[in-house]
Amino acid sequence: MSKTYEYVPEPALVKGNHNFADITAMVTDISLRPTPKPWYIAFGIANLLLLVLLVSVGYLFWEGTGIWGLNQPVGWGWAIINFVWWVGIGHAGTLISAILFLFRQGWRTAINRFAEAMTIFAVMCAGLFPAIHVGRIWVVYWMFPLPNSMALWPNFNSPLLWDVFAVATYFTVSLLFWYVGLVPDFATLRDKVKSKAGKLIYGTFALGWRGSNRHWWNYEKSYMTLAGLATPLVLSVHTIVSFDFAVSVIPGWHTTIFPPYFVAGAVFSGFAMVLTLMIITRKIYGLEDIMTDDHIEKMNIIILVTGTMVGFTYLMEFFIAWYSGVEYEKAIFILRATGPYAWAYWIMIACNVLSPQFFWSKKLRRNVAFTFVISIVVNIGMWFERFVIVISSLSTDYLPSSWGYYSPTIWDVSTYIGTFGLFFTLFLLFLRFMPVIAIAEVKGVMPQADPHNYDEETGEYVPPRVTVPEPIYNKTTHRENS
Amino acid sequence: MSDQTNQTTYWKSLNELAQNEEYQKFEQREFTENASELTDQVSRRSFLRVMGASVALAGLASCRKPVQKIITYSRQPEDLVLGEPNFYATAMPFQDTQTGLLVTNNEGRPTKIEGNPDHPSSQGRTSIYNQASILELYDPDRSRSARHNGDSVSIYEFYDFLVNHFENRDRSVLFVDEQSSSPTYHRLKGEIVNTFANAEWVTYEPFSDFNVIEGINMAFGRRLRTLNHYGEANLVVAIDHDFMSPQGDKNSVENSIELTNRRRVTSTNDDMSRIYSIENTFTNTGSYADHRLRLKSSEIAPFTFALAARLSDRVSGLEAFSGVSNAFTSHEWVENLANELIAQSGNAIITAGYQHSKEVHAAVAAMNAALQNAGNTVTYLEVPFLNDRDERAAFVEAMNGAAAGNYDTIVILGANLKYNAPADLDIESILGNIETKIHLGSYYDETAKLCNWHANQAHFLEAWGDGRAYTGEQSIIQPQILPLHEGTSAIEVLASINDGERREGYEVVRETWNSDNSDNFERIWQQILHDGISANAGYSAAQVTIAASLGTEISGALQQQPLEGIEIAVKPDPKLFDGRFSNISWLQELPDPMTKVTWDNVALMSPATAEAIGIDTKRSFRHNDVPVVRIDTGSEVIEIAAWVEPGHADNSITLTAGYGRESLGRVADGVGVDVYPLLNSNAPFYQVAEVSPTGNTFEIACTQDHHSLEGRDMVRAASLDEYRENPRFAHFSSVHGFEVPGIAEALEEGDERGPVSLFNETYGPSDQPQWGMTIDLNSCFGCGVCTIACQAENNIPVVGKREVSRRRIMHWIRVDRYFEGDQNNPRAYHQPVPCMQCELAPCEEVCPVVATTHSEDGLNQMTYNRCIGTRYCSNNCPFKVRRFNFFNYAKEYLTTGDDPEIIQMAMNPDVTIRFRGVMEKCTYCVQRINRGKIAAKKETGSRKPADGTVQTACQQACPANAISFGDLTDQNSNVSVNKRNDRNYVMLEELNVRPRTSYLARLTNNNPELLA
Repeated sequence: MSKTYEYVPEPALVKGNHNFADITAMVTDISLRPTPKPWYIAFGIANLLLLVLLVSVGYLFWEGTGIWGLNQPVGWGWAIINFVWWVGIGHAGTLISAILFLFRQGWRTAINRFAEAMTIFAVMCAGLFPAIHVGRIWVVYWMFPLPNSMALWPNFNSPLLWDVFAVATYFTVSLLFWYVGLVPDFATLRDKVKSKAGKLIYGTFALGWRGSNRHWWNYEKSYMTLAGLATPLVLSVHTIVSFDFAVSVIPGWHTTIFPPYFVAGAVFSGFAMVLTLMIITRKIYGLEDIMTDDHIEKMNIIILVTGTMVGFTYLMEFFIAWYSGVEYEKAIFILRATGPYAWAYWIMIACNVLSPQFFWSKKLRRNVAFTFVISIVVNIGMWFERFVIVISSLSTDYLPSSWGYYSPTIWDVSTYIGTFGLFFTLFLLFLRFMPVIAIAEVKGVMPQADPHNYDEETGEYVPPRVTVPEPIYNKTTHRENS
Repeated sequence: MSDQTNQTTYWKSLNELAQNEEYQKFEQREFTENASELTDQVSRRSFLRVMGASVALAGLASCRKPVQKIITYSRQPEDLVLGEPNFYATAMPFQDTQTGLLVTNNEGRPTKIEGNPDHPSSQGRTSIYNQASILELYDPDRSRSARHNGDSVSIYEFYDFLVNHFENRDRSVLFVDEQSSSPTYHRLKGEIVNTFANAEWVTYEPFSDFNVIEGINMAFGRRLRTLNHYGEANLVVAIDHDFMSPQGDKNSVENSIELTNRRRVTSTNDDMSRIYSIENTFTNTGSYADHRLRLKSSEIAPFTFALAARLSDRVSGLEAFSGVSNAFTSHEWVENLANELIAQSGNAIITAGYQHSKEVHAAVAAMNAALQNAGNTVTYLEVPFLNDRDERAAFVEAMNGAAAGNYDTIVILGANLKYNAPADLDIESILGNIETKIHLGSYYDETAKLCNWHANQAHFLEAWGDGRAYTGEQSIIQPQILPLHEGTSAIEVLASINDGERREGYEVVRETWNSDNSDNFERIWQQILHDGISANAGYSAAQVTIAASLGTEISGALQQQPLEGIEIAVKPDPKLFDGRFSNISWLQELPDPMTKVTWDNVALMSPATAEAIGIDTKRSFRHNDVPVVRIDTGSEVIEIAAWVEPGHADNSITLTAGYGRESLGRVADGVGVDVYPLLNSNAPFYQVAEVSPTGNTFEIACTQDHHSLEGRDMVRAASLDEYRENPRFAHFSSVHGFEVPGIAEALEEGDERGPVSLFNETYGPSDQPQWGMTIDLNSCFGCGVCTIACQAENNIPVVGKREVSRRRIMHWIRVDRYFEGDQNNPRAYHQPVPCMQCELAPCEEVCPVVATTHSEDGLNQMTYNRCIGTRYCSNNCPFKVRRFNFFNYAKEYLTTGDDPEIIQMAMNPDVTIRFRGVMEKCTYCVQRINRGKIAAKKETGSRKPADGTVQTACQQACPANAISFGDLTDQNSNVSVNKRNDRNYVMLEELNVRPRTSYLARLTNNNPELLA
C-alpha cells in the first residue's frame, strides 16, 4: 500500500468566479426583466404550431383515425411512434435529477431543472398520442379503472393499460419532483419580483418558504425520497412502453431485449434533446458559466455510451433473430435492412450508431456547434428507430398475404409538428416565468460553497482565494436566501 | 296453409265477379293507394305494414300475394313472428338458366340469399352473382320509373302507350332480348311471333354459349346443350374453359359442387380426378387444375385440332381431323393428353370455353363422342327453346335490317346494345332509323337513353316469373317484396303486347303452368312455390353421333394459325360478367379471384410480355400506381392499366368487359375502362394489337400486395402420391422445417396426440358446444363467394376504391392467393382466411378495455360497444383478420344517396351496424349460432344444436363445400371428422394460439409423365 495516488481536483462546476448573488441574479433576471422581443417571436411561432396541433386533432376527432395513413396491417402509425419518441425524450429529466442526484453527481444541478421541465412537457406531448389515436375518443376514459355500475374494469393484462399507469405515474412523480425542487427558487423569485401579482403567484407556489433550517430539512428529505421514487420509474416507464411491443406476438416486436434497449434509447434521445435545448438557452440567456462546456462534454459521453448500447442492441437483434432459428424473426430483420423500409433503417443506423462515435474525440465532444448538430441528428435517428420498430414489423408480419406498405398522410405530419408547438409553447413559458436553473442547488456545488480554507495536500490554513466582485444588485434591498 | 289462401283467393274472385268500380280502379293501379307510397320513399314503417298485410292475407308459400288490399296488423299473422326470418324458395334467372334459391325474408324484406338445397343447380350453394343480387334489388340507382323521351312517367302511361301501340298487329317489330329460360316467356314469345306477322325476334348476349351450340350443331347436326358430369369423370381437359366460375359457365355452381366432391379426399384410399387446364389467363379453374398449360387464345384452336388429330389416329370418328399438322402436333401436352384420354375413354370430359369458335367446340364435341365420353360423362341436352339457327348471325342480320329501315318499332328487353353490342354495329344510328323504341331494363342505361320509351324492369325478387335450370328443372320465381319502384317484368310487357291489355305477371305465369286447367292445380302450385322446384324432369338427353358433314364443314378452319405478335383477348369479367352487375358495389369491391384487384379492370399480361412491351415488371410494394398501356387494334384505341400476372400466356393480353360505364349508377360510373369497342361481330374475341406503354400511371386498389409465400407454410400442399406415402405431411410441420420435438417418438408409440402438455387443453364447460371450422384447401378454388355471402350476412360496408387502395377493405373473410414456383408458370393456391377464433387469442390479451373476449362456446367475441379502437388487437393478430372502421363507413354506406332507406333494407336485422372507431371481425356468424342454440335448447334442452343445423354464411354459400363448421365436442360432427383428417393443420401452430379454424392441405393429382 505504499503507492500514493495523485488527487485530481475536479474542475469547478460553475465557471467565471461568480458569487452567490450573481447566480441568483443571473437566473432570476430571466424572469424579472422585461420580456425580450425574440421571445415573443419564438412564442408566436410555437403558438402557430400549437394551432396546427389543435386543428389536426380537431379534424381527427371530427373525421376519425382514417385521416391518418393507418391501414390493415399497420394499425399503429405516427401516433405511436411519436408517443414512444416523446416519452423517450422525457427520460433525460428524471434520470438527471433522480439517478444522478442519488449518485451525488454535482454537475447535474446546472441542468436538472431544465431537463425536468423538458421531461414534463415531453411526457405531456407523449401522453397526447395514446389518447387521441383511439377510434372512439369520447370513451377513451374507459382505459382508466373507474368504478362503474356495470363492474367493468380495464384489462389488466394489456400492456396498453400498463402504459397508462406507467406514463401517468411517471408524469405525476416527475411533476412533483420538479415542483419540490422549485419551491426554494420560487421563494427567491417571490422575494425579488416587484409586481403584486407576481408576488402573489410566486408566493403561492413557494408554499410559504422562509429558508428556515426546518424547511431545508424537510425539503432535503422529500427531495431525496422523491429521487428514490423516481429512480425506478426512469427504468420502468420505458420498459413498460417497450412491453407494448415485446408482449405481442409480432416478429420484430416479440423480443426480450426491448426493455433495456428502450431505456438506453430513451436516455440517448433524452440527453440529445436536453443538449439541443441547453445549447440554445445558455447562449441566449448567457448562462455559459453555469451550463459549461464540461457539462456538454459529460452529456456527450453519456450519448456516446447509450448510442453504442443502442447500436449493440441492433446487432443483438440480428444475432438473436438468426440464433433463434425463427423464420419470421429472421425475415423481419432482413426485411428491415433490405426491404421496403431499408431507407428508414439505414437512417436510423447512421444517426444512432454512427453519429455518436464522433464523441470519442475530446475535441468534438467539447465543440458546442458540433454537439448541437449531433444532438438533433440523434433525435432524428431515434424517431426513425421507433418508425422502424412500429411500422416494419407490422407491415411484413406472418402472412405474406397481409403485407402492406404504410405511408403517412398530411395529418400524421401536422399532428407531429403540432406537438412541437405544444412543447415549445410550454417550454418558452417555462423559460420566461420560472427559474431555469436550480438556483439553490447550483449554489451548493459552487467552489464558494465549500470554503475549506485549508490546503488539501498539506492541511495548512490558507485564506480564501475567492475574490468578491462588485455586486450587480443592491444587496441591502433584500435578504439572501442561502 | 290453404284455408287462408283459399279464402283470400275467393275474396278476390268475388271482387272480380262483381267488377265493381273500386276493383277496376284497383286493377288499373296495380297497387292500392297505400302501396303506392312505395314508389318513392319507402319508409320502413309503411313498408312493414304493406308487407305485413300481404303476408297476413296470403298463406304459406308465397310472400307476394295475389291479394291487393291493405289492412294493418290487427292480429299477428300466423307465420310471421317479428324477429324471426321466414324463408321462401325462388330462383334467380341468369341468361337462359336459373338457379334455385332460398331467400331469407325479415318482416317482409328479403335480406339474404342462399341456394335451394332441393334444386340441382344450386344444391344449397350459390355463386357470387346469386349472393350479390340481393344488393341489386336495393340498388338506389336502379331505374325508378318508366320514362318517355327521358321524362319520368308512371308505369300506367307506359302501359297505355304499349297497349295502344301494339293494337296495330301489322307493325314491323324487332324484338331484341337477352336469353331467357322462362317457359312463360317462351310461350309469350311464340304467341307474339304468331300474332305479329312482321315481327322479327333476335337474342343478343355478348358472352354466352352460342358457339358451343353451333359447334355441337356442326359435330352432331343438332343444336344441343352440353352437360358435363364433373362428378363422374376421372379426367377433365378444360380448354380455356373456366367452368368453375359463373362468368365462364352457366352451370358453374353445379360444376364446382360435383368436381370438388369428386376430388374430396378423406383418407389415402380416396382418389381424385385429374384436371388439365389450357388457358391464356389464370382462371379459378386453372388454379384448381393439376396441370396447367398457358397458351395464347389464338393458339387454343390449333392446339385443339392437334389434339383431335392425334386422337384420330387411335380412335375412330375423328377422321375429320386426321392429317392436321401444326405447331402443336408434337407438343408434349398433346401426346400426354391423347394417352390419358384414351386410357380414360368414357370417363373423361373435354370442354372448351364459350368464346372459342364453333370449330373448336365441334372438335371438342367430336372428341367427346369418339372417346365414348358422350353419354357417360358428357350429356347433350335437348333444350326446347333453342332456335334452329345461328343466334349471333341472326342478330347481326336483324340489326343490319334495322339499319336499312325495315322496322318501325323495336322492343329491347334487357339487352344493353349501346354498351355491349359489337363495335361494328352503330347502335345509335340503327336505333335512329326506328321510329318507336321501347326499352325494358333494370337501369336507365346507355341503350335506354336512346329509346323513346323505357320501362323499369322489376328485379327477380319483386316480380313473378319462372324458368328452367341449366339441366331443365323448372321453378317459379316467387317475388319476395312488392316492386320497390313500380317496376314491371318482361313477361308482363310481352303479355300486355300480346293480349292488348295490361296483364299481371302472377296471372300470366299461372296461365303457363295451368295450361291443362288441372283441378289439382292450386295444390301443385303451392307445392312448387314451397319447394322451389317442380317435379317435372329436366331436359332430356339426346343420342348423338358425329355428323358425316363435319369433315367438310370444319376443314376450312383446321389450318388456323396462331396470331403473330401480341394478341388481346376480351373476356367477361369474373365479377361484373358483361356489365350487368356493374352497379353492385359488393362485386366491384370483391377482389378479383386471381389478381385481387378491386374497382377496376386491368390488362393482364405475363411478366415476359410486360418486359417486351417495356413495362417495369417489378411492382412496387410502396405504390399502388401501375403503368398504363395503350392498346391499338387499328380500329380502336384504349388506354388501360397494365397488370403483370404470373402464369399468363406470353404475347397475350386479357381484358375484361363490364367496366367503363358513364351514367349507369353511382357505383359503376367511372370505374375501369370499357373494352367493348374492341369486339367486332365478325371477329373472334382475340385479335392482334399494338401495345405500348403510355408513360402514365394509374392507381389500382389491390388487396394483396405480396404474392409469394416466401417459403412459409401457410398453404401446405402435396401430390396425391406424396400424400399416400406420407399421409401426415401437413402435420406438426412448422416453419422451422423441423418437427416438434417428441412428436416422432410419440407417434412411434402409437400416441396420436403428440407430446404431453402440462396445461389443460380442453376449453369451456361441457354443456356448451365448442365451435370449430375446417377449410379444405383441396376444394377451394378461390371464387370469393364466401366473402360476398359474409358481406351480405354481416352487414359489412363497402368502403370504395380509395379506402381499399389504402388497405382498409372490410371483408371479414378474405381469400388469399399465393403463387409458387416459376413466375412465368407458377402454381396458384387459394386460402380463405376468416378469424381463426384462437383459443389463446393474442388479440384478447392486449385489448386495454376487454372489448374482445372469449365465450364459453369458444368464440373470440368482439364487443363493439366496449371497443374504444386502439387497434392493438389487430396489430397483435398474426393472421391480420381484424377490420377497423377508420371512418364511419357504415354511415357513409347506408345514408348516402337520395334514398338511403332503400339500401338500409338490405341489412340483416340480427347483426349490429358498426360505428366509426370500432374493430370488427368474423364472428363465426354468432347470430346464426345463437339462433341455433336457442332452437336446440327449446327442442332438446341441450345447448348443442345438431350437426349441420348451424351453418356459417361462408360455409353455406361455398360451392366447393370447402368449409365445414360445427361442434368439436361432437365426435361425429362433420368438422370433428375433418379435424381428424390426416391433412388437417393450423396456420402458425408454433405460436400456440390454438386456432379453432384449421385447414386441410391441398392435394394435386399430378401426371408423373408431364412432370418429368
